[in-house]
Amino acid sequence: MTEPSTAPEAVKKVSAPPPAAIDHGHDDHGHEAHDPIHAANPHLAHHFDTPQQQFDAGKLGIWLFLLTEVLFFAGLFCAYTVYRAMHPEVFVYAHYFLDTKLGALNTCVLLISSLTAAWAVRNAQLAEKKALMLNIVITIACACTFMCVKYVEYSHKFHDGLLPGKNFQPKEQIWELKSFRDRHPEAAEYAEKLSKLDEKKAAPAAPAAAGKAEPPKVEKLERPTEEELEPLLAAGLVGPRSLDPSAHISRPRMAHVFFGIYFFMTGLHGFHVLIGIGIWIWMLVKASKNQFGANYFGPVDFTALYWHLVDLIWIYLFPLLYLIH
Amino acid sequence: MSDDKPEAEKPAAAAEAAHDHADHDHTGHDHDHADHDHSHAGHGHGAAAAHADGHDHGLAHTTPVWLLFAILGALLVLTVATVSVTSIDLGAQGNLVVAMIIATVKAALVCTFFMHLLWDKKFHAVLFLTSVLFLILFLAMTTNDRGEYQHLVDEYRAQQLQAK
Repeated sequence: MTEPSTAPEAVKKVSAPPPAAIDHGHDDHGHEAHDPIHAANPHLAHHFDTPQQQFDAGKLGIWLFLLTEVLFFAGLFCAYTVYRAMHPEVFVYAHYFLDTKLGALNTCVLLISSLTAAWAVRNAQLAEKKALMLNIVITIACACTFMCVKYVEYSHKFHDGLLPGKNFQPKEQIWELKSFRDRHPEAAEYAEKLSKLDEKKAAPAAPAAAGKAEPPKVEKLERPTEEELEPLLAAGLVGPRSLDPSAHISRPRMAHVFFGIYFFMTGLHGFHVLIGIGIWIWMLVKASKNQFGANYFGPVDFTALYWHLVDLIWIYLFPLLYLIH
Repeated sequence: MSDDKPEAEKPAAAAEAAHDHADHDHTGHDHDHADHDHSHAGHGHGAAAAHADGHDHGLAHTTPVWLLFAILGALLVLTVATVSVTSIDLGAQGNLVVAMIIATVKAALVCTFFMHLLWDKKFHAVLFLTSVLFLILFLAMTTNDRGEYQHLVDEYRAQQLQAK
């Protein structure tokens, strides 16, 4: 990132840069006063020769940072991929607990903020102070809207016991969810019936049997046969590795892991949004001091690039978490 | 400090000059310090230059406002598409594949236009794609490895169940 240099207050105009005869050497450090380029560009740090060099260095830096960000999130995407490959039914089950409308709303809010961020870069380049500040304010407003929606979603999940690990104690069962009932009425009815069976069976020893992809067959306990499980299979709630006669068939085994992944991915993303809000406020302050123009808009550009990356990650998170079929 | 209203009003000539530079403007970054206000960072693509708005300014390309709104429109349309396509059953992995394709198109639009990669130095695009390449390698190798060992997990679980 660039640091404004301490330029003489007297310099009132950023004039055209000097003639071709710029010494590319670096012996003039600390002598801005004698250097026409630095004298003309109050925001050109003393260790850069020209605004172009300063901008290019910053741009390379932010791209390297974005690269590490992609790899940073890669770990979580990897966890998601592995778990989804192993337990697809968990993802089908759990996504009914997420509100697609809120997710879509957040997607639109972030996309709009990406537009205003990109527009703000243009404003900074053209030294349009008012438009720049307006666009930054809209971007911050969108970011805050995003966080508010996330707060609503999170508090809903906390309230309903949709938490990772031992804290996963859903208050609402899947057959009680409208989103599930609407799509799979038969499966919902059946899952409810099974859950009552589960409760009755809590005490007796679980039957031995059932390896991979083999439905539990315990006639005397009126356990479901494969045909009977059909509605649940069709709804995707029963996966190849979820059939466990000792477990509640009405809920996939290890469903809580989804919420671990969900909270880590959206939480880390939300943390990035919070940091983005902070940096945008910083840019707003700089903009209000009228610091940006054709020769110095790097900070806005770099902030916008970071912001677009946060948007990019959400573009993938939204279908992966909310739109599971 | 209302002092820096730099070259906001001197674009036309500079843009013309920049256009001439179009062919060599991405070749390296230690080029022409001398005439740096002629905005060599931008172009390489005549399409944007054709629009009155799309000329270079100072250090980098300036994206025209109409293009920003067009991209936003496309992104919103794709968002609606990806939501509505979930109600259609496209097979076991079909929906996931379609959702990922749509997400990737959206990501490409954001990268190309909002993040200026179209007009930026190609090196930045290469950097970014490298990270994506390693992300794909990471996911692919892990997925492959997981598949290799799945039968061991299944056997172990079957044993566990029998032990009960």
